[in-house]
Amino acid sequence: MTKTGQEIGEQQRVDNPEPRTFASVLRSHQSMVFSIAYHFLRDRPAAEEVAQDVFLQLHKRFEEFESDAHIAFWLRKVAGHRSIDYVRKRKSQAAVDIDDVPVPSVDGEPEDHFLNRRLRLLIGSLPEKPRMVMILRYQEDMRPEEIASAMDMPVRTVKSHLQRSLAMLREKIDRSMGDVR
Amino acid sequence: MMDDFEKQLQEALSRKEPSPFFEARVLGAVKRQARERRASMRMWWATAVAAVLIVVAVSVWQHQRNEQAREEATGREAKARLELALKITSVKLQKISQKVEGI
Repeated sequence: MTKTGQEIGEQQRVDNPEPRTFASVLRSHQSMVFSIAYHFLRDRPAAEEVAQDVFLQLHKRFEEFESDAHIAFWLRKVAGHRSIDYVRKRKSQAAVDIDDVPVPSVDGEPEDHFLNRRLRLLIGSLPEKPRMVMILRYQEDMRPEEIASAMDMPVRTVKSHLQRSLAMLREKIDRSMGDVR
Repeated sequence: MMDDFEKQLQEALSRKEPSPFFEARVLGAVKRQARERRASMRMWWATAVAAVLIVVAVSVWQHQRNEQAREEATGREAKARLELALKITSVKLQKISQKVEGI
């Protein structure tokens, strides 16, 4: 049975009783946008700067968005591109060779697992685009097709970045775990 | 299907929260941006109105100048005509005077 427009509208009101406001979107998506920038830049103030910039841009064209899904996709896309632009502009984040990434010391945030910190460091040492592809894949659980659309690159390239980055990370992790043992 | 390593990656890249003041800071920046946009719109309108006023004033001044020049030209033309008419009259009167003197 197909639903009439009125029924769909009613359903949407039931599913989402509060009208969408900029403040509610900011509240519900701030950790997503911030985390994309944070995992990419590995710098909290810089990540907050990028995230604020993304939300200011969203505010300028807030009326253009028709659904929450559209907003979420747009935020991921712009957060990705802005983070890459930020690094390119700043150029202060010197390129770190994956082999030079130090093994993190065991003392750090107590709740943070040693392996997680090591993985984040290794991801942070990837080149810009593969790094953002990995973040969108494993932080945001996006499919390669969605990442391709957000990053304006062919699906083939996304899959290739994923495969190569995964293989490299596996190898480095195996090696560093061997070193620790 | 994700393997253990990919699940570990998901855990390592789990979402983090920004600082507690982030939301307030963004909302403050949004208000500032809106104020700046309104101020720049007001500036734009003021500039546009000033430009229109200048154009109108220049047009009125130009029109008045043209009118004045046209009136001066008409006056000069009338003066020249009057002078010619007086000259012709003077010549005719002179001829009549000469004829009267000859009688």
